[in-house]
Amino acid sequence: MSTKVPACLFVFIVLGSTATIWAKKESTTKAVQPQQLSLLRVNVTGQGYDYFRPWQKRAPFSKRALGAVLSQGRVLVTADLVANQNYVELERAESGEKMAASVEVVDYEANLALLQPQDKKFLDGLAPLELANDTVVGDRVAALQLEQTGALVVTDGLVTAVQVMRYPVEVGEFLTYRLSIALQYRDNSYTVPLVKNNKLAGLLLRYDPRSQLMDAIPAPIIAHFLKDAVKPNYGGFPTVGFDYFPTRDPQLRKYAGETGNGGGVYVRGIEPGSAVEKAGLQEGDILTAVGNFDVDQNGNYVDPIYKKLDLTNLLTTRAYVGDKVPLKIHRQGKPMQLDVTMEHRAPDEYIISPYSRDEAPKYYILGGLIFQELSRQYLREWGPNWLKDAPQRFVYLDHFQWELFPEGHRRVVILSQILPVNGTIGYEDFGYLTVTKVNGKDIHSLDDLAEAVKHPVDGFDRIETEEDPKVIPLDAPQAQADEPTLRENYGIPTLQRLK
Amino acid sequence: MKRLLVGVVLLFASAELFAQQNTPPLQREETPPAGPHQINTPPLPPPPEEGAPPLKPTATVPPVAPIVVAAPKQPNGRIQKSLVRITSTEVEPDYRAPWNTGAIGRGVGAGFVIDGPRIMTNAHVVSNTRYLTVEREGDPNKYPARVVFVAHDCDLALITVDSPEFFKNMVPLGFGGIPELESTVSAYGYPIGGERMSVTTGIVSRIDFQLYTHSSIDSHLAIQISAQINPGNSGGPVMQNAKVVGVAFQGYSGDIAQGVAYMIPTPVIRRFLTDIKDNHYDKYVDLGLTYSKLQNPAQRRYLGLPDDGRGVIVDTVIEAGPAGKVLKQGDVLLSIDDHAIASDAFVELEGERVEMPEVVERKFKGDKVKFEILRDRKPMTLRIELDTVWPYQMQAHHYDTRPRYVVYGGLIFQPLSLDLLDAYQTADPRVRHYFDYFIVEQIYLQHPDVIVLTNILPDPTNTYLAAYRSSIVDEVNGKKIATLNDLAQAFAETPDRFVIKMIGQGPPLVLDRREVEAARERIRTRYNVIAEQNLEEQPVAAQATAASGTVPHS
Repeated sequence: MSTKVPACLFVFIVLGSTATIWAKKESTTKAVQPQQLSLLRVNVTGQGYDYFRPWQKRAPFSKRALGAVLSQGRVLVTADLVANQNYVELERAESGEKMAASVEVVDYEANLALLQPQDKKFLDGLAPLELANDTVVGDRVAALQLEQTGALVVTDGLVTAVQVMRYPVEVGEFLTYRLSIALQYRDNSYTVPLVKNNKLAGLLLRYDPRSQLMDAIPAPIIAHFLKDAVKPNYGGFPTVGFDYFPTRDPQLRKYAGETGNGGGVYVRGIEPGSAVEKAGLQEGDILTAVGNFDVDQNGNYVDPIYKKLDLTNLLTTRAYVGDKVPLKIHRQGKPMQLDVTMEHRAPDEYIISPYSRDEAPKYYILGGLIFQELSRQYLREWGPNWLKDAPQRFVYLDHFQWELFPEGHRRVVILSQILPVNGTIGYEDFGYLTVTKVNGKDIHSLDDLAEAVKHPVDGFDRIETEEDPKVIPLDAPQAQADEPTLRENYGIPTLQRLK
Repeated sequence: MKRLLVGVVLLFASAELFAQQNTPPLQREETPPAGPHQINTPPLPPPPEEGAPPLKPTATVPPVAPIVVAAPKQPNGRIQKSLVRITSTEVEPDYRAPWNTGAIGRGVGAGFVIDGPRIMTNAHVVSNTRYLTVEREGDPNKYPARVVFVAHDCDLALITVDSPEFFKNMVPLGFGGIPELESTVSAYGYPIGGERMSVTTGIVSRIDFQLYTHSSIDSHLAIQISAQINPGNSGGPVMQNAKVVGVAFQGYSGDIAQGVAYMIPTPVIRRFLTDIKDNHYDKYVDLGLTYSKLQNPAQRRYLGLPDDGRGVIVDTVIEAGPAGKVLKQGDVLLSIDDHAIASDAFVELEGERVEMPEVVERKFKGDKVKFEILRDRKPMTLRIELDTVWPYQMQAHHYDTRPRYVVYGGLIFQPLSLDLLDAYQTADPRVRHYFDYFIVEQIYLQHPDVIVLTNILPDPTNTYLAAYRSSIVDEVNGKKIATLNDLAQAFAETPDRFVIKMIGQGPPLVLDRREVEAARERIRTRYNVIAEQNLEEQPVAAQATAASGTVPHS
């Protein structure tokens, strides 16, 4: 969150040489005609939440970026840019004129957001970009940046691959362009637009200055986002809801009853409550086709534009929420068809939420014990190596959440740490514990916990944990008596936030 | 019981060891998996001393000796008459190719003669040894030696030399007690592989429980001293008033502190010598439980305890341990062998405040401890017969044994252990969870061996199976696999195919038995798989005689 996230999501562009390569290649001059400016600056200040001290926000950060001007007075940026924003303003590159803007639609999974200036007239004179939906491997595109003066900086790049990859919040996989491009440093590392023939081909997703490789959010993802964005309630991209395993191995094929040498992948890891589960997909089914596209033994299909692509693209990018997608499967060798009505799983519909933006974390402080709902956002507080550095039990719970909690519809409540007060003497070292029961009640959410602590037994709150020490009794009146101390000594304005 | 030390260095080895580029010491280049509690920190060998040749006395000591008039008397006597230099050629088991001999290395440590006559040193000086020689000062001969007893859980060993010549004129050293804080001690040994004895002095800085990194799970009393000790000091005596008060064994240099040196104190040494009196080392015994302090006033009232500063509460009882059928979670332990247990888990023993496990530390296999406890507020008296707790061994380093494994159709199956994790640096979250929680979540009850498909030797029959790597075996043809033996037995049967179900979701791994049988010889030859399985963790020495025909080794 906050300023930390960009550092790990983006490899910031290293100060490049001043020699521009522009006009070197003929195609670059074709890609953009500089007099038609379609860019402006976007300045964002924001504050992330501190999951170790969930009652407070971090110190404010500010980011400077570019926005791509679209029709109807809309400005397209990456969602990362406006995550946890307090204030967004647009700035005309050529004049320096500024105006406050609002975030109209944001999708952190696809990493896209639409901004709108307070007054659409602010964009007068800027040429709205149309989408270039037809980029394929081998095409040249140009990255647009701005000089301090407002002059355009154009860098030529080559699309080397089109593939399905994870995006920064690591929910779902989406179509991505990979470019070979020598991007130069400017004070805007977010939302560098890519154009082809003066049309928007993509937005910068991440850049590695050593290999000079850029991943870009491609126009088809942007188009999908824009199409949904006009609906009254933005629904997001469909969630796949299962995992698959290749069936190349002839012994596995035989075992699964696949006699021919056709395609198909072994379905596993079906998320409880997902659209595919509702449609009846089962672990062990062999998925042979999605819609009209046959799936090979490795899980790829032949895309009309990009040739071989991961089948995920059919479900996340080509399909929309609400679409009926027929899945052809073999179950014990018998062909069947399942119609899946595509759904989006919002981050708060997971057991352990995969990401959180613009939303304050929940917490409940009882007599110095800080209770929280386990989330990946919390785990990410351990830094880029959180998989190794965060408490391993929590990493395990996150990784296997659907397997460990097949019933779904619950949260994992943790006792994250203890703020020493009189009532916690001797408990100071406890932390990173998984709460199972409080006062005899099963705890499946922080709300459960808030309700359970209303009913101490014989003057004690009895907290049970999965790990040692197993039981932590708290003197209920003492826990209340310690509340003013907690507020004053630790500067906690409110001892709970349940929404 | 915390295990906190990061990067503790065992004080064994010399420039010679590092001169051999083809035998890198175990895990030197690889960083250990940094779990939250650092429980698997391996004993890292010291960094190589680049360009530090073994010290040659002739080169470094000019003939100035005659000038020294009436050299001051050595306060501990002529230690040269008791000290020996031990050179061990050792073979590090290769967990990635477990049928192989493993890397061969050589290191130097110290030892000293005690009554018997025997030579005491550290376990890590003679671990995995295949050839052992000792030298003494003023004698050009190298004497072949052999290990008599080795205690990996307290890093001590006794070796002996069969040549009757060797012990002539050698003076056995006697043992003292625990030296006082701030009193001066002297450490003797062969730091950095030198050929002549080195002496350093320092004071006793701290007497405390410490993790013994040789096994990496055992904690015992250890004494921190300010004497400079370095690799090659290992196994050497630390003396005071002409008595041995400790054996130098490990040090710490890192981010938090530098040049911290530890010795094994005499209570640990005496316990070892007592244990082996029956010609068998029974190892340290344990209770097999975790407990918490009872310092919180509300918690004490909740448990119905008076405010008398007494008692600790049992958190987890390890079923396979001695306390398994006796104690329960929630029991309050009030006294151990009639020593009151304070609420901070200390007891008073012979006038000293020591941690409660110290009472158990001093006992032997088969001894009993008496607990006075409160269970559901009712007082009870219980006796527990002490024994080792086998599941702990999974998280310990192993020595002098051959790795256990089964190779079938080019698939390498190995039981999970600390050494295995170190060798493969597995990041798989399920494997790591099974390792970390093997004991406290009693995973060992269902899976005494957690059998991991660690690697695949590529062959046309298994070329599409790479995705199964790091999976844990659950069943073969519907039969639960609890041990490596179960797996070997399953593969010895003759069904058409083996359906190997792994823990968690995903398809089973399916093998056509006839195909595998046909490929077996091919894979054995191609990858030089000398033996397709080793099921028993038998000592290497025993194997050398019992199974030398089938399992050749150095």
